[in-house]
Order: sequence, then C-alpha cells, then structure tokens
Amino acid sequence: MAVPLLIALSYVVIAFSVAFLLIYAIRHYVFGFSRLRIEVPKDVMELTGFHMPRVTVLVPMHNEERVAADILQALVDCDYDWDKLEIIPVNDRSTDNTRSIVDGFARKFPFIHPYHRTEGAGGKPAALVEACERAAGEILILFDADYVPGRAILKMLVAPFADPETGAVMGRVVPHNIGDSLLAGLLSLERSAGYQAARQSRYNLGFTAQFGGTVGGVRASALQAVGGWNPESLTEDTDLTFALLLNGWKTAYVNRAECFEEVPRSWSVRKRQLSRWVTGHTECLHNYWPELMRSRFLTGWEKLDAVLLLAMYWTAPMVVLGWIASLLLFFIPEAHQTPLLPLALAFLGYQLFANQATFLEIGAVALLDGTRVGTLLMPLNLLNFFANTGAICNALRKYYWNRFWGSGGDGWYKTHRTRLSNGGPNGHFFGGAHAASAAERSAWGLYHAQAPGD
Amino acid sequence: MTFLFFSFVFFALFYMHFALAHRAWLMIRGKQSAELDMGYVRLEDFFGQSFRAKLSGWLKTAPQQASSTAALRVFDRGNERIFVAHGASYPAGRRETEVLVIEGDFTCGGDCSFERELMVKGDCAIGADTHLQAVAVDGSLNLGEGAHVRRWVDAAKHLTLGPDVQVESRVTSRSSIEFLPGAKALSLFASEIFTEGRHDAKLRVEIAPAVIVQIPHPASMKEPAHGYDPAKLHAMGGGTYLYDGALRVSAPLHVTAPLVVRGELSCEQESLFEKDVKAQGDVEIGAASMLKGNLIAGGAMKLGPNTYFQGLLHAGGAMRLARGVRGLREKLPVAAYAAGDLIVESNVVVNGKLASARVVKALSTPVAWLE
Repeated sequence: MAVPLLIALSYVVIAFSVAFLLIYAIRHYVFGFSRLRIEVPKDVMELTGFHMPRVTVLVPMHNEERVAADILQALVDCDYDWDKLEIIPVNDRSTDNTRSIVDGFARKFPFIHPYHRTEGAGGKPAALVEACERAAGEILILFDADYVPGRAILKMLVAPFADPETGAVMGRVVPHNIGDSLLAGLLSLERSAGYQAARQSRYNLGFTAQFGGTVGGVRASALQAVGGWNPESLTEDTDLTFALLLNGWKTAYVNRAECFEEVPRSWSVRKRQLSRWVTGHTECLHNYWPELMRSRFLTGWEKLDAVLLLAMYWTAPMVVLGWIASLLLFFIPEAHQTPLLPLALAFLGYQLFANQATFLEIGAVALLDGTRVGTLLMPLNLLNFFANTGAICNALRKYYWNRFWGSGGDGWYKTHRTRLSNGGPNGHFFGGAHAASAAERSAWGLYHAQAPGD
Repeated sequence: MTFLFFSFVFFALFYMHFALAHRAWLMIRGKQSAELDMGYVRLEDFFGQSFRAKLSGWLKTAPQQASSTAALRVFDRGNERIFVAHGASYPAGRRETEVLVIEGDFTCGGDCSFERELMVKGDCAIGADTHLQAVAVDGSLNLGEGAHVRRWVDAAKHLTLGPDVQVESRVTSRSSIEFLPGAKALSLFASEIFTEGRHDAKLRVEIAPAVIVQIPHPASMKEPAHGYDPAKLHAMGGGTYLYDGALRVSAPLHVTAPLVVRGELSCEQESLFEKDVKAQGDVEIGAASMLKGNLIAGGAMKLGPNTYFQGLLHAGGAMRLARGVRGLREKLPVAAYAAGDLIVESNVVVNGKLASARVVKALSTPVAWLE
C-alpha cells in the first residue's frame, strides 16, 4: 500500500516541480529574447543632463577606512552641479579611521555633510532611516562604500525621475574582480544576466525593475509616502521596491549607469550573502503577495511578474524535490511499468527547453556586452547552479523553520570585502580620468569644456 | 586495466564538455575587469570635439610631405593624407578623398563630394546636393539644399540646415541652428534651435486659462464633468496623483500636482500643467497651453500650436511640435525626445535639444496656418 502511494506522490511532485520550473523557464526566454530586440522605447539616455533636481547621495559606511576616500573623491569628481548636490557619508559606529577621513572631506567640500552614528540598531537599513531624515535632496542616491561611481553616473541615475511615475531607479553593477576566483568569474555572468537581461527587459516590458539598494536612487517624497525604509528587513531594497509598487510607483532601470562592485570570491562569503537575500526576499513574498494580488494599480501581468520575482528562490527546492522524486521512481521496481519512450521524450524535451533558458539569457547578455569570454565560461556555470541550489535550500529551510517555530533568524551583516584602496580615482579604474571641471558641472555643461580651436 | 582505460576515456569525454570554459577561465584568472570607462562624461558635441582633438594631435605628429607649399600643406598619416589650406573655394562637382583642414573661410559649389572629414576654422558654406562624411566648423556653417552628411555636424556659431538636408547622426552648435523644411537629423543640440517663419511676437510667457477642470479637483466636485471622473483620481502619496484610465478632457486642464494617467491624455487649448505629467498612452495637448514641468507619454505625443514647455518631453512613439511651440527655461536647456519620428513644424523655437531614435524632421506648415 505504501509503495503505490509513494509512486503516486513522486509523480505529483515531479509534475508540480516541472510545471513550476517551466514557468520560470518561459520567463527567462521572454527576458532573453526581449533583450535581443533592438528598439528600446524607454531609453532615457538622451535626457541625461537635462533633468537636474537637488540630489542627496547617501553612502552608508561601517569601518570603511580602506575605501572611504575613494568613493568620496569619486562623488566629488562627478559632473553634477555642486549647487544641487549634497553628499551624506553615513558613518555607522565605525571603530577605525573612517570618521577622520569623512570629516577631512567635509572640511574641504561644503556640500559633504557627514552623519556620525554612535548608537541605535545596527545595519544599513537602520542607518538609512536616520540619515534620510537629514537629507535635503528631492532625489536620494545610494552607493555602498566599496563602490566606485563614474563621473557621469549621477546625471544618468537622476534622468528617469523626470517621469513622475518613477519612484526609484536602479543602475547596473559590474564586478571588477572577475579573476579573483572561479566563483567571482561565474558571479560576473550571473550579475550580467540579472541586470542587462532581467532588469532591462522587465523595465522595457512595463514591469518594475528591482531596486538593489546601491547604485540606485529613490524619490524622497515617494519614500516618505510608503513609510520610509523598513529597518526590520534584511533586504530593505526589495522591500522598498514592492512598497513603492503597491502605491503605484515604478522602479526604472538605467543600464548605462554602470558601477564597479566587488563580488564574493569565496563560497563562505557567497553563502552568507545568498542566505540574507533569500531570507529577505522570501519575507517580502509573504508580506506583500496578498496586497499585490489585490492592488488596483497593477495589471494581471504586473502582478504575475512581481510574484514570480519574489518567489524565485523557491525554484531551488523545487529542483531538489524533483530530483528526489525521480530517484525514488528509479529505484522502486514497481514504478518501472511506465512506458519508457514517452518518459524519455518528456525528459529530453524538458532538458532542451527548460535547462537552456538561463543559458540563453546569459548568452544574450554576453552577445550584447560583447564579452566572448563570458560565453565560453557558461558551461562552468553548472558549478554555480549546484552550489546556489544547496545554499538557497539551506537558507529557505532555516527561514521556514524560524517562521514556524519562532526562533531567531539571521541578522543583518556586512558582506566581507577584500579590496584595498587602490581602485579609486587614482587607481586602475579611472585610467587617468580627471575630475569634472566647473564648466562641465554648470547648467550648460553638456558642451565640451573647451571652446573649439582652444 | 580495462577499468582504467574506460575511466580515462570517460573523464576525457567529460572534460571536453568544459575544455573551452576551462581555457576561458585561465584567460581571466588573476585579472580585473576593465569594461567600464569611469571617466566617461556625456557631452552633446562629443563627436566634433573629439575629432578636433584627434586632428590637433595628428597635425603635431604626422610628417609633412616635401611637396607641401605655403598655400597647401600635406601631412602623411599612414595610408591617408591630411590637406591643410589657408582658405579655399571649391567649384561645383569637386571630389575630395582626403581629410581637409581649412584655416580660413571655405565655400564649395553644388554637388561636391567629401569622402573624409572636413574641418573649417572660419565660416563655411556648402553647396546644394553635396555629400560629406562629417563637418566641424569653428565659425558659422550653411549646409545648402539637399546636402547629405553621413555622420555628424558641429559648428561653433550659427548653423543652417537648408531645405531637405539630411544628417545621419548628431547636429550641434554652440550658438543656434536654423532647421529648414525637409531637413532631417538624428538629434539637434544648440542654445537655440528654430524653424522657418520664426516670429517671437506671439510668445506668451504667462497664461491665465479659464480653468474648468483642475487636478487634483476641489472637494466640492463629486460628479464626472468634461470627460474627467473624480472617482478615478487616487493619491499615490508624496503629493503625486494617479488617474486610473484614459483622461480626455473637453476643456482646459489645470494640473497642480504631479500626475500619472493610466491611459491616453488629451486636453483643450490653454491648459496649464504646473507639475510633471505622465500618460501611459498617447498625449495630445491643446493649443496655447503651458507645460511648466516634464511631460512623458508612453505612446505618441502632440503639442498644439503656440504651446510653451519649460521641461522635458519624452514620447514612447512619435512626437509632433506644432507651429509656434516654444521650449525654453532659465538656467537649464530643455529637451524633447521621441522613440518614433519627431516632426517639428514652422515657427518652433527650442533652447536645447531635439532628438529621436528614428529621425527629427522639419516640416513646412502652410502659410495660411501661420498667425
């Protein structure tokens, strides 16, 4: 009696997991093929520099003495009008030399207003809540301290806010340490697909791109309207994306607003990073899905896209459940009565269709970015797939255990960085670039700084 | 032995699946990504300025030919040559195959052909139906009727795009651009861009519309009127409103808060938009309206005659600026961008930029329509 039940249950699990994964496969195909279309109707690059509201740049810092000077100098060097720019380095209880570095910059540049935090809850969301109360800008732009923004990035990130429906904007992060380890190289592929394909497609198709909490910005009035940052969330960026969406605001994506970041190069760091993302994302799913379904501001497709985005980490346990059910059927002799040919064809069809979906998306991105090495590296992404699957399943297991049994979950923690302060304006990222001149920052700074013939 | 052999074959076949990937990994191992140009700054006149800078470098380093004279210096640069003259006047039909630098004024007759870039440090007049690669001029530039430029055009002073001139890339001037009927370009940027039949007497900097429909509406308004349904207006928070559906108002519309319309938007003449407005569908604005904020359309956009805009216009489809439209504001240039064709009628003046993903085209408005 138990064996037939087990067989039936295995079939149900396989059918469910295949159906679930097929939905995501179709989603990947849509995004991949959508990006290969040439027309980009929402291109805002032509408006870059023509919309210049007052901007506050927030840089959360916790023991960032190695990189603090780099990012502050890079922001000062940006071509945004200083009269409309405020920079708030949020020094969150640092115990190293961060405070003196920040104060040194503030003495030199009057538009830098440091906020030194000495008490209160730890973590980036809590620090942002307090810093935003001091911000004077209409638009709040965020950078993590170890990022190195280019000179034009502020104008690019601000341009989409000309649209009153834009509540937040997201730029593209590009890993710089691709050769540090195989993991870093593979994460570079993953990041490319996540930004160049998924976010850009979602934006082009009229869905909301996901705000990532750095290399992005939010409209101050929209942030206030949705109650500000959620200090309880492990992924305050995802939380904000959906809080805005529920109130009718969209998150724009600017692919050209690129910024270097450092991706984890060891699996222990990557696992913790994934664990935080999985926990925060899944928490958002449970918090927001009923409201998303009821929202009068969203179309049916927008609701579907939003829920699929929030439930994406469920694909990992679905894969594992499918594997377990398949193994059971393989080792139970009574299950071998199923005709082999239809089963083989179904298996092959699934492999050809579903398993190629993510590879197509990554391939499309490699084509768009012109990165041949990225295309060649794709087969090794299988390693990333297996490792991700394990890490995500483990994080979900912990999340649901905590959710149902009430024990404490993961706290906010800072992702470990290894970069030394050699990548900033004077390092290899800038290649001899100079700071923007006063003329370039001025209102008509869209002309070359020098007159013809000079 | 057999086991070892088959193991070897199996692992060899398995490795072959990843051989190229392994090689790719060895290529990037230990390296840093250098994909991004961190010093990149968006400049509208980049092409012209970049060419000037490169040319200046070439003239400093390239060897001068022995056959050079005081009137014409010839520089060798690999398999191409750069001709430098003090001033010149080419007759009609002349064909030039090398980079040409004129240190004074330059004119050419009709139907000439310049297969490489042309740089003029004085004023420049190009004859009708001439074909050019790209032009940089430090003085004023007049492109004659039917001239065709395969790449960009940049001038320091006044620039005239004659009738039916076609520029396949960007047109920039530090002064002004006169955009005559039938002329086409991908984008234009100048302190002032104007079309034929310009007369500024009609420019109205302040209007007082007979307001009939106001958004957000007064609390006393409960019932739909003039195509506006107060029940469809929702507050998004932060002072922004959302109108859930198409908004076709048969009266002047006064918008006092940022507004998002989930559908088409149209309004009658003398409407006043004080804040940013976005419509997800097509937008049609009545004549003599004033747009103080930005106007964004998911579809096509049409501004009625004599409309005055002070911000940005962005259309997901085509855009048409009717006769008498003015685009200017203090301190910052304005911009109009269309993903489709951008048609500009007569007597339009824009201080800033006109751009399209397809083409910006000047259109002659029948004289009878002009005021």
